[in-house]
Amino acid sequence: VRVALVGAGTMGTVHAEAWRRLPGVELVAILARDPSPLPGRLGVAAVSSWEELLAHGPELVDVCVPTDLHPAFVLRAAAAGLHVVVEKPLALRLEDGRAMIAACAAAGVRLFVAHVVRFFPEYARARELVRAGAVGRVGVVRTFRGGGPPRGVDDWFADPARSGGPVLDLLIHDFDWLRWTLGEVRRVFCRVADGRHAIATLRCADGAIAEVTGSWAHPAGFHTAFEVAGSEGLLAHDSRRAAPLTLSLRRPADGGGGTAVPAAVAAQDPYTRELAHFLACLRDGGEPLVTAADALAALAVALAASASARSGLPCAPEVTEP
Amino acid sequence: VTPLPVGILGAAHPHAAAYAACLGRIPGARLVAVADPDPARGAPLAARHGARYVRDDDELLRQPLAAVIVCSENARHAGQVMAAAAAGRHVLCEKPLATDLADARRMLAACRRHGVQLQTAFPVRYHPAVAAARAAVAAGRVGRVLAMRGSNRGRMPGLWFADPALAGGGAVIDHTVHVVDLMRWFTGAEVAEVYAEVDTRFHDLAVDDAAVLSLRFTDGTIASHDPSWSRPAAFPTWGDVALEVVGSEGVLHVEPMAQHLDHYSERAGRLVHAAWGDDWDPLMVQDFVDAVATGRPVAVTGEDGLRALEVAIAAYRSAAGGRPVRLPLPDYAPP
Repeated sequence: VRVALVGAGTMGTVHAEAWRRLPGVELVAILARDPSPLPGRLGVAAVSSWEELLAHGPELVDVCVPTDLHPAFVLRAAAAGLHVVVEKPLALRLEDGRAMIAACAAAGVRLFVAHVVRFFPEYARARELVRAGAVGRVGVVRTFRGGGPPRGVDDWFADPARSGGPVLDLLIHDFDWLRWTLGEVRRVFCRVADGRHAIATLRCADGAIAEVTGSWAHPAGFHTAFEVAGSEGLLAHDSRRAAPLTLSLRRPADGGGGTAVPAAVAAQDPYTRELAHFLACLRDGGEPLVTAADALAALAVALAASASARSGLPCAPEVTEP
Repeated sequence: VTPLPVGILGAAHPHAAAYAACLGRIPGARLVAVADPDPARGAPLAARHGARYVRDDDELLRQPLAAVIVCSENARHAGQVMAAAAAGRHVLCEKPLATDLADARRMLAACRRHGVQLQTAFPVRYHPAVAAARAAVAAGRVGRVLAMRGSNRGRMPGLWFADPALAGGGAVIDHTVHVVDLMRWFTGAEVAEVYAEVDTRFHDLAVDDAAVLSLRFTDGTIASHDPSWSRPAAFPTWGDVALEVVGSEGVLHVEPMAQHLDHYSERAGRLVHAAWGDDWDPLMVQDFVDAVATGRPVAVTGEDGLRALEVAIAAYRSAAGGRPVRLPLPDYAPP
């Protein structure tokens, strides 16, 4: 499969490296607005325009640009008859998300949305246990996801008109995992502090209560945690206590920078696993673990949370499919 | 100096035994008598500490006491605190201060009218880690406080705690007040708005056992709190108390119960936390006794108890109405 990548930022780099690990994939071009070391490092053609990208004959386009640019690139790819992988969130507005899904369907191309948390083994395992009844009836779920402020090109994360803020960029991961694990969200109430720390309180359709916190104000570094309390048990995870490998250096090799991407220690990292899964779905026509409809539904929950934060009232997510 | 004579008014709450033991260890105080309508509950406790057991509250208040510790069921606090105040006894009252705001207000008024002090039993404030955390926040170490995240989860306590008439509610009234007190103490701000999801999900009870509270403070700080009775019997200890403070310049996490050994017990068949940190109960009882003995104001007041109770009550009202609730509540009257 010939893959072209749009965007050479943090997620573009992660995806480019993952594509390179997958057999049967040829990364044919990387479209970057600004000069980037990534194409040169990977020995991939650097292109600076969509037309140039098309000239490399890709079959699939992987869209890893700031969220506000997702719709335009996905619609272009669909119009060109190319399959699409797009970073989460799908879009910043439901109407954009619907248009993207409709355009891909009309063009007969696949649309895969990179809700990577479903490919993190700790989240997948917890979901599997919860659904097998390991904690009985779920009462209260609490999740945390956060770290320092993400750094992107033009500081786009800090602009809510481009990233949707922590609710659309960060909390949406856990909203998707909650839907996947417990089913639909009935209502959400949300507060946001200083545009960089968000607390959402949710009620799921089955009655479970959830609190989802996402933060760009945790300077100690990116980490995730969740707890699922039920009538017959309690499941807890904290990435800070789950490191199978630590390395303490007298002189840190790297001062840090960019957007925090969780370090995974696994035979196949979650990003590679995710893209390999999308590739398999593309080849065999199967349904992905996370569908575009799921991405749209998670977006609806995140938009309801944002609306709640603005109105100060609880909000029911828009129903995005029958 | 003669030790301060103290009585225990009501032994329904398990803390009665803990506070009695504290009084036995404090040089400046002496447990004189224990009153409880149930001799099976009150008599052994009194006997263990060489104190007199009385069935009747009035009989206890006729003893020459300087102060009483009220450890009855939540719904009985109000009557007992008002009786103690009328008898001129200073009061340390178990939390929650009362089961409704009108009762709590009457308790504060009675203590004021009779010139006695009323302290609410919020012992968590006395743990050195918590005191140090408060000092760090007050000194601006985390910058401007943006948000807080509290936890005070426990096992289902059983006894009368799940009887709505005696407890005034379930997990929310039981486990909201400690951490809300810390949040108020850390920020110096009051809760301005409460939204809550409240339900009964873990046990077959007539009261709530599952909840999440979302708070906004008068200074703009936002917070969440989980007061659920969500710890299974297999959990290594009774529960937890934790508070994370997210500021513009950093994050502080305080969890006094982190001071424990991991005990993998064959006998228990599970992991058990063996706590080794400072016990906050004697620190609180000592401070109350010192305040009464010296006449200085108590460190944690009846108003602190009333404010925390108001948040729990607001959580119930928010859940019932499906909307955020503004504070002060209409039936809250500042002392």
